[in-house]
Amino acid sequence: MSEVLYYFLGFSAIYILMGWALYLPYRVGQLNYLIVACMAITAYFGGFAAREWNWPFPVILIIGIMISTIIGLIFSQAIGKAPCFTVVIVGLTSVFIVKTVIENWKLLGGTVGFFHIPNVNGMLIIIYGLLILVGFLIYRIDHSRWGRAASVVFVDKDVAVSLGVDIKKIGMFFQIVSCAIAGMAGTLDAFLVRSLSPEFFTFGMIGYLMCILFVGGYTTMWGVIFSAFFLQGIPLMFPSSIASWRQVIYGALLVLIILLRPEGIITRKMLWRMKPKAYFPVNTQIKNSKS
Amino acid sequence: MKNKLMRFSGIFTIIICFLLISSINIFGQEVQVSEWNIPFLNSITGPIASIGEYMSWSAYRAADEINAAGGVRGKPIKIEVIDTGVSKDKAMEEMAKLVDSALVVMGPVPEACIMAAVPIAVKAGLFSLVSSTSYEYAVEYFPWTLSWYPITEEKLPPITAAWAKLHPDMKTVVQFVENWAAWPPMAEAHAVGLESAGVKMLSQVDVPTDAIMFGPLVLKALAQKPDGIVLTCNSEKAAKIIIELVNKGWKDMAKILVFSSADDTALYTTGGDSIEGISIYNYIDLNLDDPRWQAFREAYKKDHDGIEPASLSTNYYDSVYMISEAIENTGITGDPAKLAEERVKIRDYCRNVKGFKGVQLTWDMTDGVPAGKGTFLFEIENGEKVFRAMAK
Repeated sequence: MSEVLYYFLGFSAIYILMGWALYLPYRVGQLNYLIVACMAITAYFGGFAAREWNWPFPVILIIGIMISTIIGLIFSQAIGKAPCFTVVIVGLTSVFIVKTVIENWKLLGGTVGFFHIPNVNGMLIIIYGLLILVGFLIYRIDHSRWGRAASVVFVDKDVAVSLGVDIKKIGMFFQIVSCAIAGMAGTLDAFLVRSLSPEFFTFGMIGYLMCILFVGGYTTMWGVIFSAFFLQGIPLMFPSSIASWRQVIYGALLVLIILLRPEGIITRKMLWRMKPKAYFPVNTQIKNSKS
Repeated sequence: MKNKLMRFSGIFTIIICFLLISSINIFGQEVQVSEWNIPFLNSITGPIASIGEYMSWSAYRAADEINAAGGVRGKPIKIEVIDTGVSKDKAMEEMAKLVDSALVVMGPVPEACIMAAVPIAVKAGLFSLVSSTSYEYAVEYFPWTLSWYPITEEKLPPITAAWAKLHPDMKTVVQFVENWAAWPPMAEAHAVGLESAGVKMLSQVDVPTDAIMFGPLVLKALAQKPDGIVLTCNSEKAAKIIIELVNKGWKDMAKILVFSSADDTALYTTGGDSIEGISIYNYIDLNLDDPRWQAFREAYKKDHDGIEPASLSTNYYDSVYMISEAIENTGITGDPAKLAEERVKIRDYCRNVKGFKGVQLTWDMTDGVPAGKGTFLFEIENGEKVFRAMAK
């Protein structure tokens, strides 16, 4: 496989994971930017543990996920049912705090950065294996009682409460799972890039993730997959002179999608239409009873 | 019939001789490319687009000059600027595109892209001239990079010491430091030089990367009653801090020292008249009496609305010349079959070139580290930089 394809597939998968980490809490109307802080923490933890302590990759991955899960758990206690704006502020602040800590921590390379993270063989296979696993997990969540409850919370919290949905509990659940996914993505990113800089985890990343979520579509997990590949591929599809305008292309695309197709390119309705009729036994039953 | 046979064998012999001579040329030192393509991973969009622009400008200028003089080994140089937009993913993907075919790479720019993309070049045995960064970054990828600047702890203390010696009454200094890339180690080196000249360093003032208001930071610095100020932050912030200092009554402008990375357009456009009289150090002597330099300077000013060449403006100009010299002097052919071998030849030449004639000065490289490069101290007078001291 060519190096270009390798990194294109690698980064696309990591952005899909991060896109899903943003997508899940948005199911209950929360934009949880804490995921970027979790990504930075686990990336640095993974890089440091591998280079300085020679820990094996699987152990680093598991502990990284555990660390970010704990962070998610702690924060979600406070912002589990907070309004979107509060969650955004907490997320942005946490990114700023983590970035400042890294910049001032010489052990982690400070502002200069962290170099020479050991190579892990078969990284792309590991990334895609985990991507499928997480994808399956999110699919199950989306089609579970939690997923249906989240859809109601997104539309109207009062109705959800009247239906017996525990808003805080469901908010906490989605925030914790999203932090765990971001922790996984951070570890994978560190071992894919093999260097770390505080500049990798900036507000620019938040903007890019927002673009992935809203262009692809926030009502289904498939939108993130489509837009991560599409947006990551733009610079590769076009000549360098056009690719230089990618930030403008991303911005224009986001504005256009919000104006013309507010739910994003891939919506639940669209998937519904695409599904073969045979998959809907209820409809078939109705049809049969009518005949 | 016999004559015909003789004529045929004569022609046959000539053809064989011609083929033999051709084959010697093919397998010898003949150039195998129609042009020397030099990719330059630069950032011409995004937050450092202005810096990326003049780096590209200087690389193109060097290529134009070389091509006008007949090219390298008879073939023209082509600079292919590839925009990474300060994105690590883009830098890695673009570097990945180059590892199979490029003879040498210039860049990436800036540090975040270097950290992400250079390991790919190192793995593939591709030499990258990361000429805009400091020693701290380049050394991590030796021998597949070189450092354009001497070791920071050795290069900077003499220039701050020289500044202190120009102001013997300056006993205490406050330094404003922005936590970005290699600037904190540079700030430490500034302090070492000042302390060696008997100056006491007061508590440092941290400049947040996203700072908008500078009044409180300036008050914090002035509360310590310093005699001098060192600004180790970007050009825009340095200009705004100077404006605040002037507004709060700072008079002795020469006792404000701006570091090299802040010597950029925004310092002059934002600072305006407020920066009159300040001290600044960088790596180019604008008034150098050399026709090549003056031609570069005039061309730069012409293409940049009269603004003087910035501190980093010569780096990739000299890099293009260094690569072309390496190709010329090591007999590079550009033959894809010899790619690995010729990459090593270019690497070894550049890392140990002696008496390299840059646009500003002549220097030697030893194992990828330059020696004999100077740092210049200026004061701004009537909007012009006036030379005050030099340190080596």
